[in-house]
Amino acid sequence: MALKGLDIFKLTPKTNCKDCGNPTCMAFAMKVASGAISIEKCPHMSSEALSTLSEATAPPMKSYKVGELALGGETVLSRHEKTLVSKTLYAVNVCDCMDAAKQDAVLAAVPKVDYERISERMYVEMIYVRHSDSKSAEDYAALVTKAKALGRPLVLSCTDVAAAKAGVAAAAGCDFILNGADENNFAEMSAIATEAKVLLGVRAASLDTLHDTVEKLEAAGNKNLILDVGTASVKDAYANAVQIRRAALKDGDRTFGYPSIVNVAALADGDAHLEAALLSLFTCKYGSIVVCSEMTYAKALPLYGLRQNIFTDPQKPMKVTPGIYPINGADENSPCCLTVDFALTYFLVSGELERSKVPVNLLITDASGMSVLTAWAAGKFSSSSVKKFMDEFDVAGKIKNRALIIPGKVAVMKGEIQDKLPDWSVIVAPNEAVQLVKYLRDEEWKKSYVEKGAGAPAGAAAEAAPAPKKVIPAPPIVVNGPYKLEDKVVTYGGHDPESKKFVIIGERIHCISPAIRKAMDSYDEGPILKRAAEQIAAGATYLDVNIGPAESNGPELMQWAVQLLQQNFNNVPLALDTANKAAIEAGIKVYNRTNGKPIVNSADAGSRIDYINLAAANDAIVIALCSADGIAKDNDERMHHCHNMLERGLALGMEADDLWFDPLFLVVKGMQDKQMDVLNAIKAFADEGLKSTGGLSNNSNGMPKHIRPIMDSALVAMCMMQGLTSAIVNPCDLRLMETIKSCDVFKNHTLYADSYLEI
Amino acid sequence: MPFAKKPQVFGASINELTLGTGDKAVTLGGQNVFNLYSFDAPIANAPKIGIEISDEAEQPSPGLTAFYDGCATLADKAKKAASVAEADFVCVHFASADPNGANRSVEECVADAKAVAEAVDKPLVIAGCKNAEKDAELFSKVSEALQGKNILVLSAKEENYKGIAAGAGLAYGQKVGAESAVDINLAKQLNVLITQMGVDGKNVAMNIGSAAAGYGFEYVVSTLERVKAAALGQNDNTLQMPIITPVGSETWGVKESTASAADVPEWGDQDERGIDMEVETATACLAYGSDAVILKHPESIKTISQLIAALM
Repeated sequence: MALKGLDIFKLTPKTNCKDCGNPTCMAFAMKVASGAISIEKCPHMSSEALSTLSEATAPPMKSYKVGELALGGETVLSRHEKTLVSKTLYAVNVCDCMDAAKQDAVLAAVPKVDYERISERMYVEMIYVRHSDSKSAEDYAALVTKAKALGRPLVLSCTDVAAAKAGVAAAAGCDFILNGADENNFAEMSAIATEAKVLLGVRAASLDTLHDTVEKLEAAGNKNLILDVGTASVKDAYANAVQIRRAALKDGDRTFGYPSIVNVAALADGDAHLEAALLSLFTCKYGSIVVCSEMTYAKALPLYGLRQNIFTDPQKPMKVTPGIYPINGADENSPCCLTVDFALTYFLVSGELERSKVPVNLLITDASGMSVLTAWAAGKFSSSSVKKFMDEFDVAGKIKNRALIIPGKVAVMKGEIQDKLPDWSVIVAPNEAVQLVKYLRDEEWKKSYVEKGAGAPAGAAAEAAPAPKKVIPAPPIVVNGPYKLEDKVVTYGGHDPESKKFVIIGERIHCISPAIRKAMDSYDEGPILKRAAEQIAAGATYLDVNIGPAESNGPELMQWAVQLLQQNFNNVPLALDTANKAAIEAGIKVYNRTNGKPIVNSADAGSRIDYINLAAANDAIVIALCSADGIAKDNDERMHHCHNMLERGLALGMEADDLWFDPLFLVVKGMQDKQMDVLNAIKAFADEGLKSTGGLSNNSNGMPKHIRPIMDSALVAMCMMQGLTSAIVNPCDLRLMETIKSCDVFKNHTLYADSYLEI
Repeated sequence: MPFAKKPQVFGASINELTLGTGDKAVTLGGQNVFNLYSFDAPIANAPKIGIEISDEAEQPSPGLTAFYDGCATLADKAKKAASVAEADFVCVHFASADPNGANRSVEECVADAKAVAEAVDKPLVIAGCKNAEKDAELFSKVSEALQGKNILVLSAKEENYKGIAAGAGLAYGQKVGAESAVDINLAKQLNVLITQMGVDGKNVAMNIGSAAAGYGFEYVVSTLERVKAAALGQNDNTLQMPIITPVGSETWGVKESTASAADVPEWGDQDERGIDMEVETATACLAYGSDAVILKHPESIKTISQLIAALM
């Protein structure tokens, strides 16, 4: 938790002695708060003040590892605020008060629940070994030895010092936690735990006593603790679990900044359904380790699914491992249905396939966890990625059936996939998953199936196969004199790269627009020139040219587009936007730099980092998206990506001014609470003298048409105040353009005149 | 040092909404703390539980089938459902009205609803068939027939809120459910639209969407949490309506509940799985913000009732 300057000021000697090199203690404190100067620069800080400071800057909740298992380290109470980092772990209780047969039965049942769900192993992570007062230390040690045989970390629950010693000795060699300190025995228990180098569980009859005992343990130097919420009643246990976590994360009470243990086996007292309810309750709020009497599939199936949902990073899509998933007992003779690895897509599609009861091999390809259309537009789901998947998983070797059914939404990919996989019959499925049931049951797909390979009559495949996607050669560029829009001549006025004025990158030449996609497919210049003219007339500085994945003719198409636009509009500068790198390089080869360097749109800190190399090699500007795979979870991560990319660019000989950092604008509907993060990131770029840009209108995605200009204008004004130097927007939005021009006046980037809006 | 307790009590509170009439009437909402946080302040009204019956065959659960064995009419079923002591209200789901399904007429459904209302004295919630047009008509006619019973219609959506607000809400004075699909902005917008029609916000309950645990439930979690945070923390009176979440209709449809023991022997008894899926999902809904949950299995209802009692 960051300290505010005023909090630090209160800890300074307030003498204004200037020994630190600052005029006043207040100025010094402000610099410390911003991280510009270290607290040690003040020679007069008391040791208490220093320890208060280090305490205040420590994370609010400790994090630990028990074997491979992570505990604690949370910074927020709700998953939507950031992300919950350490999932709840489940343990099964075994007690020395049980007879030997019961103990054996409990332990033998533990490994039974063990399965995988969306790339995560679901099993009982720990064994809770409880000591009862009625049994001897030897009995307890014997039980610990028995439990240890399962090879999972243990929690030794034992308040008797002698039994604890015996249990710890028996547990030697395996990972474990000693849950046994209370207000009476804490000194001895702490000594045992410290010697064994393990976490010590602390329990008490009330939160007051617990707080007190933890303080005593901390004072004695033990800060490797875990807090037992107790088993007095469901109500108390829940109150304790919530209040402990809330005190640590919301109210800054570091004494409670430890993970928790909840024993729902004791709370449910043999009621299996109540135990299921309590497992769910304490997974939601806020059990780090939850102990049950028995883990059955009935309890586990919803529980592990719930846990997986709650503990997924809200900013990262849930992904399914790519591979071949046989459904309804599919074998090598069953057809293949192909889709992407986005978890919701997988559940939807696999659910419908299951309902059809038709055996099908579901092929899940790597698309970075994006949905079908998004992945396609981003170039993550393409004929190349499909081909790569088919080769990597040797699908042709494993499956004899040659029907490959692709999602209806990417019917456009059919030709390209067919070209790359000539032995397969590529079939387009319906648009929606729900339609799959009928489609498969009624064998509708067979109507489009074309027999392939050796078994097929000679020539049949060639005749019946759909013609490969026609690649038309690009026509020559024609300039028919000055371009006219409704009888008005549109000329591009030029751009000075040194100007401080806000750079408006027009976003409207984008292949996601059906009109543009069609025009690009057929090299039809009309619609493309019209959109270019509209944007230039409205005041665009640069034009973005998004040609989509363009797998078959990227370089040729990009060269055509670049020359078409530049020759018709006085060498208007362009941003080249595609997942096809060869197309960008080809475009730059024919690019005229009179009005500024070309922009490569875009690199990121993940799989697209080498777009920086592409820009460096071609002396271009690059838009550098401050995210790796998925949205950065906070500004620390954004700035980390920013610095990584900056370093790479500089090492490749680029100027810092040629990297334009994109904080990634977020949708208000859905991520309203993250908007200030984006604005603060822009400020951070500006403070470091870096340029920035981004798809600003993403903020208003999904809003009614008449609202969008209002939201976009307000945001652009706030962004320009923070130091944003450019944006990828729709220049035909008059309100937005007027706001940008006005802000440029306030920022003193252009001189005011009554007619400033018209120039 | 003892623990410095800092109860999180808000200046704002969730609206109180009463369903039904007389002794058996129940009140949802009213609290000025987060759900189930009775350690922060006394909870005005404990969360409530509804029992859902369908006018079509129940989803494949041997236990549920046995429970309703011998019920010849929907009213019989409702009577049996109402006999579950822990159920606070009865939710009648007119699945048969679906034009893409059995397409029973509104008149037939209204006759059934009347018979149900005569058979049970617990408050009634009327759930539609999800067809926007048919539901709007169904809700109006049922509201008219059951005038004075103080029922809740579940629910008005973006596509049909006008007719439902005007009919069920304004003309017949029933309570209106506002349904959005796990989207907090849409939830707020729909409440605004319904109140702009003249329906008092105090007569609206929200269904912010539902899912079974493991099936995109994280969206339900975040929507519930954010709605409560805005309602209480920001005193946003367009989001202070109590939240009612249909759980059973989601959980009894996923494969964990529908796969028979013969299909997946290692999973064990089918009803046990279905009950735990329903119980665990309902618990999570209550923990994150639902003021009422609607369940199907009597065993689940007993368990959730026990849990709520233990936490109050």
